[in-house]
Amino acid sequence: MSLSRRFFLRRGALALASITTQPLWGPLFLRQTALAAAENSRGSRRKTLICLFQRGAADGLSMVVPFGDPNYYRLRKEIALAAPSRGAAGECALDLDGFFGLHPAMESLLPIFREKHAAIVHACGSPNPTRSHFDAQDFMESGVGGSSQAQTGWLNRALAACPEDRAKKTAFRAVAMTSAVPRSLQGEIEPLAIPDLRTFGIGGKTGATGGAGFEGLYESAVGDVLGGAGRESFEALALLRAKADPARYQPAAGVEYPASPFGRQLAQIAQLVKAEIGLQVAFAETGGWDTHANQGSAGGQLAGRLYDFSRSIAALYRDLGDRMADVVILTMSEFGRAAAQNGNAGTDHGHATCFFALGGAVNGGRVLGKWPGLEREQLFEERDLAVTTDFRDLFAEIAQRHLGVTALGRVFPDHAPDPTRFRGLLQA
Amino acid sequence: MKILFARLCTRGVFALLSFGSLAAGMPGEVESASPDEERARIVHALDRLGYGPRPGEIERIRSNGLENFLFLQLHPEQIDETALEARLVLFDTLRLPSDVLMKDYFAEIKRFIENQRASGNAAGVKRQFGIEIGPGGTKPVTAPAEADKKAQLQEMIRSLPDRLSLRVVGDLQTAKLVRAVESRRQLQEVLVDFWGNHFNIDVSKQQCRVLKPADDQGVIRAHVLGKFRDLLGASAHSPAMLSYLDNNENTTPFEVGAVEQWIRGVMVKRMVGADIKPATGKARMEGGRNENYARELLELHTLGVDGGYTQKDVQEVGRCFTGWGFKGLTGAFEFEARKHDNGEKIVLGQTIPAGGGIRDGERVLDLLAAHPATAHFIALKLCRRLVADQPPASVVERTAAVFRAAGGDLREVVGSILKSPEFWAPEARRAKIKSPFEFAVSAVRALDGHLDFSALPVDGRARRALEGAATLGYAAEVVSTLKPPTLNWSVREMGQSLFAFQAPTGFPEDSQRWVNAGALVGRLNFALALTSAGVADVRTDTRALTGMADADDTEAVLRRVGEALVPSGLSPGTIAVLRKKAMEATSGLVNAAGLAALVLGSPEFQRH
Repeated sequence: MSLSRRFFLRRGALALASITTQPLWGPLFLRQTALAAAENSRGSRRKTLICLFQRGAADGLSMVVPFGDPNYYRLRKEIALAAPSRGAAGECALDLDGFFGLHPAMESLLPIFREKHAAIVHACGSPNPTRSHFDAQDFMESGVGGSSQAQTGWLNRALAACPEDRAKKTAFRAVAMTSAVPRSLQGEIEPLAIPDLRTFGIGGKTGATGGAGFEGLYESAVGDVLGGAGRESFEALALLRAKADPARYQPAAGVEYPASPFGRQLAQIAQLVKAEIGLQVAFAETGGWDTHANQGSAGGQLAGRLYDFSRSIAALYRDLGDRMADVVILTMSEFGRAAAQNGNAGTDHGHATCFFALGGAVNGGRVLGKWPGLEREQLFEERDLAVTTDFRDLFAEIAQRHLGVTALGRVFPDHAPDPTRFRGLLQA
Repeated sequence: MKILFARLCTRGVFALLSFGSLAAGMPGEVESASPDEERARIVHALDRLGYGPRPGEIERIRSNGLENFLFLQLHPEQIDETALEARLVLFDTLRLPSDVLMKDYFAEIKRFIENQRASGNAAGVKRQFGIEIGPGGTKPVTAPAEADKKAQLQEMIRSLPDRLSLRVVGDLQTAKLVRAVESRRQLQEVLVDFWGNHFNIDVSKQQCRVLKPADDQGVIRAHVLGKFRDLLGASAHSPAMLSYLDNNENTTPFEVGAVEQWIRGVMVKRMVGADIKPATGKARMEGGRNENYARELLELHTLGVDGGYTQKDVQEVGRCFTGWGFKGLTGAFEFEARKHDNGEKIVLGQTIPAGGGIRDGERVLDLLAAHPATAHFIALKLCRRLVADQPPASVVERTAAVFRAAGGDLREVVGSILKSPEFWAPEARRAKIKSPFEFAVSAVRALDGHLDFSALPVDGRARRALEGAATLGYAAEVVSTLKPPTLNWSVREMGQSLFAFQAPTGFPEDSQRWVNAGALVGRLNFALALTSAGVADVRTDTRALTGMADADDTEAVLRRVGEALVPSGLSPGTIAVLRKKAMEATSGLVNAAGLAALVLGSPEFQRH
């Protein structure tokens, strides 16, 4: 972690030293040159944000268990997780701060939390009361509420609002490991959607463009939406060909990704980060969180999903190693689940859930946000965990403090940016 | 053939009579349209009302008349389809009754449970089926050892063709492709795709995969040109839909006696080898409300998200549908009075009196089908599919008015879109981007290709079972290694896993959503594969493309290939690229397949 910071300082000093012979060029140039030198060093200024969407409304009360709140056990008789040391290892929550505990299937994230590079924002979510997955995902991804039907996503607008010195305009600026561009990434900056890097190439080989002559077809399609996508494709192929071969990807020593689609997606994101091809925003998604029936407790349906989810994220974090100084991994889900379990030992659609953030710059080792409580009158509409952190404030904090966006109004047009609402997830 | 021709002739006269207004609706009278304009309209009709032209089709329609073509497309029952029906016999799982498929589904679960129990993966079973098979709280375990995996795979491959509840998924997907490629009832196939997407069902959810064939046949195919109320009603009664949107779990709490619990336990144990809800020895209350179907019925099937209903309406509609479900063992629709909330409900301001039983749900469907918001929402979606991503308000309003006036008669509704100037306007031509499915099918058709499974072992049955398993989330890595891929797998690789869109919205109707840089690479690869015999179950003959043109005459070959594949014309830029490619030919012979790949990969061919 400290390595890259040291590296930056040294390169910065070098840059300063090298221009002292030209004092007339003034402080602005001086600063820019220092920055440029930093840019040339290993990605030390350019930031990457990796967003992981849990589609289907993940149960925040099971991921990060409020074992210190007695109502939790009253509401969830069959599916509650025992407080730390109230059961066999692997059967009870893992203590985070004496009040909250991590689901035992997410054990792989615990060391990162203890190293203070992972934080949780609990009771976070959308102010919109909808319990429709599609409405809620739409809001969270567009970042614009109501029925305004914003056509663009918040991540794309955040990229567009990034200051020039943070942006390297390559085809890999915004990548989704999905077959269609998710709503979050739609917009003016052409995103790439690549479900699997291994098959991203023409004629079967990664990065290959073949001798078929397809390039020319899209060069001439000016002003056509297809033309843009085509040119972007070939630029991406060329970059990838030069920088990365997913078929031969070797994660860092000792890192093993789960053999699941989600694990593979994250391994490929790591590869793109390491290839230094200008990745600023990466997006991956995982489903199976809509646990209406038999969600289980320490074991079972939800535990299985969390096991895959957290091991994949931990592998990504370890794989990126020192590079995590410039990376933030952020998880999100459209809403949480009802505070009380239902008649089928599952949970129905609820309101707030919890979001995880990992990274070198994350003020980790803490569960952030205000805990609203689980008493009947404290619940949203008397049934769901209330939202005390608007997800837009969390996203805005990351857009500003990580990506360097100052014009937050462009990213969240109907939610006046106000740093006093930031939870202090990142060092200011 | 002769009979058909005679029928065509008599119908043709009728067609002219009843379609007198069609010509009037076109911009400029058909009679006065220039030959080029008429040709452009025929191409547009084939592109948008079907999956693109086959070689020779434009000329055939020109000689029979465009009105005749349109009339027949709106009356598909008058188009002879015996040849296609004979080909579909291959997909035997699609004709099996639901109870047979359900039985195999349970056998599949049983097999799965036995395997998982042996490898100690109780959590995996719970994840897939929500069933407890071992002591509670079993920790998730890592993947089985390589040797076990190999043995399992061997066994799986041997038994594949008989695993009906896996193969049924591959059969559904492949039969859909066969129909789109081969059927002469092209508009019907487009409408089946549209309505199947409107009433989306994801086969990878629990038993939906074995219930979907009945839905495809009895709900969607049976009603695409019928009354909307009938289509909606059939969908509401469809076990596949009831399962997909959880309405079989939507009940008022009801008492289950000790004996019933015991019987159920014995039955379930026999079917799958595990107990789902252990009997307690005394009566207990079970069930509860589930609003999933009610919400999507309003939001996605009828009124639309801005259709003026409230959360309270969702709850009340949910109450009206309590007790609508299906028999767990056979998959037959069943209304259970004891699970129905028989109190009074108020839906969209209308009181539904207490004691209505199953009639409550029917009343709701009546209300929704006749609601003006539904007319508008359906009109908008149909126009989005048939006219443009952002269809002009004029055509949407006119279509909605026809929907209301004709009592939701979908033949009238679609017919009115085909009569609208907006449909025929030059701006509507090539205004939409093809979905991967549309792209793949139109490419096969353009090359005059056919699906042919004879090159695959057991006529592709094993492959379809594997692809079915992959659609359900297993074995995808295995299928990826099978070369060459099938047409179905190619469509999936391009981002459209047929019958397996997870969210009830269905695949996007706004075709711009299919454009992105990564996806294009998949299309280019498909274009290369298709033109080099690289799709396992498609037979094409690219040599036929060059036709009578002398293969030495570059310009003639270029023209011929371009016209055959993109009859609406290629851009000068594309032609220049083709010419350059043709000039590269070293042997003196132009490589027609290489040119065809370029054309199929061109921006022009991505549109329709």
